[in-house]
Amino acid sequence: MASDPQKQGSGKLYDYTEGNGYPGDQQALRLRRISSPASSQNYPQFNWSSAPSEEDENGNSEPHRDLRSAPLPMALKRAIRQVQQMHVPVVSSVESWKRKKTKSLHKLKDNARGFLTLWNKSLQKIGGNFGGGVQSYFLFLRFLVVLNFVSFLLIAGFVLIPNIVFRSDGTSLANSTGPEKCMEYDPNPQGLVVFYKYFLDLLSGTGFMEYSYLFYGYYNNTLGEDRNFSYNIPLAYLFTVVFYFIFCLICIIARMGTAARVAVATGGSTVANYSMIVFTGWDYGCLGGKATKLKQNNIHYRLQVDLEEERIKKQAAALTSCQKVVLYSLRVLMFLISCGLIGAAFYCIFLATNFSQQRSGEQGILGLIFEYLPSIVITAGNFLVPLLCDQIALIERYAPSTTVIMALLRAVFLRLVSLGALLFTLWRQITCEGHTDSGACELCQYNHEVYPCWETRVGQEMYKLTLFDFLINVAVLVLVEFPRRMVVDNWPSKLAQWVGRQEFVVPYNVLSLVYGQTVVWTGALFCPLLPLINTIKFVILFYCKKITLFYNCRPALKTFRSTTSAFFFLVVLLFGWILATAVMIYSLAEIRPSMGCGPFRFLSNIWSIVPTSFYSLSTTTQEFLFFIGSQAFTIPLFVLSCVVMCYFIALASVYGKNVALLRAQLKLEGRDKQFLVKQIAELSRQLQIPKHNGVQDCR
Amino acid sequence: MGNKQTIFTDEQLDAYQDCTFFTRKEILRLHGRYHELAPHLVPMDYTNDPDCKLPLALIVNMPELKENPFRNRIVEAFSEDGAGNLSFNEFVDMFSVLSEMAPRELKAIYAFKIYDFNVDNYLCKEDLEKTLNKLTKEELTPEEVELVCEKTIEEADLDGDNKLSFTDFENMISRAPDFLSTFHIRI
Repeated sequence: MASDPQKQGSGKLYDYTEGNGYPGDQQALRLRRISSPASSQNYPQFNWSSAPSEEDENGNSEPHRDLRSAPLPMALKRAIRQVQQMHVPVVSSVESWKRKKTKSLHKLKDNARGFLTLWNKSLQKIGGNFGGGVQSYFLFLRFLVVLNFVSFLLIAGFVLIPNIVFRSDGTSLANSTGPEKCMEYDPNPQGLVVFYKYFLDLLSGTGFMEYSYLFYGYYNNTLGEDRNFSYNIPLAYLFTVVFYFIFCLICIIARMGTAARVAVATGGSTVANYSMIVFTGWDYGCLGGKATKLKQNNIHYRLQVDLEEERIKKQAAALTSCQKVVLYSLRVLMFLISCGLIGAAFYCIFLATNFSQQRSGEQGILGLIFEYLPSIVITAGNFLVPLLCDQIALIERYAPSTTVIMALLRAVFLRLVSLGALLFTLWRQITCEGHTDSGACELCQYNHEVYPCWETRVGQEMYKLTLFDFLINVAVLVLVEFPRRMVVDNWPSKLAQWVGRQEFVVPYNVLSLVYGQTVVWTGALFCPLLPLINTIKFVILFYCKKITLFYNCRPALKTFRSTTSAFFFLVVLLFGWILATAVMIYSLAEIRPSMGCGPFRFLSNIWSIVPTSFYSLSTTTQEFLFFIGSQAFTIPLFVLSCVVMCYFIALASVYGKNVALLRAQLKLEGRDKQFLVKQIAELSRQLQIPKHNGVQDCR
Repeated sequence: MGNKQTIFTDEQLDAYQDCTFFTRKEILRLHGRYHELAPHLVPMDYTNDPDCKLPLALIVNMPELKENPFRNRIVEAFSEDGAGNLSFNEFVDMFSVLSEMAPRELKAIYAFKIYDFNVDNYLCKEDLEKTLNKLTKEELTPEEVELVCEKTIEEADLDGDNKLSFTDFENMISRAPDFLSTFHIRI
């Protein structure tokens, strides 16, 4: 009757007897205290006869790990450990030294992990008071901070420092061929500069900030030389940016892998909703009376939502076909309206960008407003359109979970593609609406009159977007959230109570983070120090959001699932990455770099530095690289990767079938057990009746 | 090696480290917490393994457990006598299982014990009703409670005996993505 749970691995030291809970196998343990009958059923019995030495070859660390996971009382575990220590066979000093080393290495790893992870205590506090959904937002923010900081180190190491070192010397890589007019670029203003202009320049990246390490225009197209070491600065610039993108992709996918594993292992999340809520709904880490009350309300709300969804499903199934037609046509109409709203937002951005570029020479505060006009319009659109879409969703009458997903998808689409609209408008202006051979673009294939150094201008736009996003976040905090809380707390009126304290809505905050990160990726080619600025921005944002969370917010009644949400955030981040990559590829390949500035002047496009430098490599390297790029190499590689992928797909399907088989087996065993129990009851009844008669006769 | 503490011998600390998911520092800290629950009862010197148990009423007053609706059941599940009196061994054991490094299988075993109010190794309807009432502070109507309990058993019961055995429970937990993060007390 002892069926071991299906586990692999050696070192199973305790017998897990199944059947009727944990029946007390009559193996009395010497060291167990006299305990009440109720508790002897509580723990599975330990199999003393199994000798640990024969089961594990890789040192005694295995049984120790198993001992920690054994569901035995502590006194028993310590006794077992003592016995294990005695069982340890005489080993050579090398073995024991090795074992001690692995143990201390494990301890060191644990300590280091606790020390290096940033903000651990804060995250624990947040999770305890506001739940897993809010905590996942802050975990995501921490991931972005670390990603940006590491990217900054990368860029500083390969682009910034060599430029500083080789600033003065170095031979120019390409001859200065090109019309004189195209090479005119004078970013430093002459004459008297008004004092407050420095502040305006700081905010818009012009003036003293324009010709600095911040923007693309400052970097040289020289080959830095130092004794027998030469450093190709333009090539390094290009490769660093490309590598930065690939590095970010790898980080995102690695993190998605861990999140996806959990999501896949748990199968369809819509199954077993009620049992999930009942058994895993309560957060044991909840601290404080208020948080507990809220958690209870939250669970109550979730159960009610599920019951409501059931009711709606039943209602929807009971609709007549006429009502169905009406409902579907309403939904199509609302979809078209929401598309129309998003299209209107794009058109506004287009108009605003055009206007801003036309009036870019203005001075003073008005000039600043014109500079920031695209950012203002994007932010306003991102605020208004989701509000309107929420109202639309009320008419659509989808199930509550579908409504949430639709709203999020619309918001994601709006955010990312509004950024795309801005860039598209900029591009059209730089390349004179695509006709690079006519009008103002005839001389240099880009609009050199308005944009003597167009890359710096694009970098400035991204810089302004980042800064504006940050300023808006802080402004909303100071001007909206704190006053709201003061009003709600101190002004006893019905209106104030109805408005209530701010709720920390996780999805929209996450989208704002993704938007900020996408802007940084898009601008990285043109503004190499943007990751550093973004790191500082996100760090300040972390503390600001934490403060507002604890002082101004009440936990949301409708929670966001924490494990599937981590995966969702990363998927949205990946969309942002794809947009940024598309922009980068277009700028690398299609537009002619400015002739007056930057490391790629006098080349026909940015990517052509690679073939140019390629021919300066040694012949063997050239032949090797040609070979890798040729068909003789890539086709077998492609075939090999297809084979490997097929193998993994087959493996995954086999595992899936295994899981289904085991589930069916569990069901069958349960029924077998019931059948046997019934048989036993029958038999004992049959046996008892004659015995009983016998006893009665005796009397 | 480090600061000299006289609460435990090195041998004992090693034993605790191997039997739980805590480091030396955390075990000493836990001893501090255990001691401050009843400073006159709990000795500072544990080198002789004193036999000292704290009653249920003291343990459930800890801030980490005070607001938990299942606090009584948690302490009872980890006590050897089933009545909720915890020695330091069991105290450490409890927080070790509820820490974030404990594996899913171990947590599932103890979660099952916690929700089994009548200790019959099955989660029957009464157990579920009590669980649900504790979860929602009795704000659901009796019909809703009835409905949710029925649906829960329907979803999780594999062998069709209208109650959940440990196998059913573990099978359902294995599909719960949040279980590890919710069944976790930070201390």
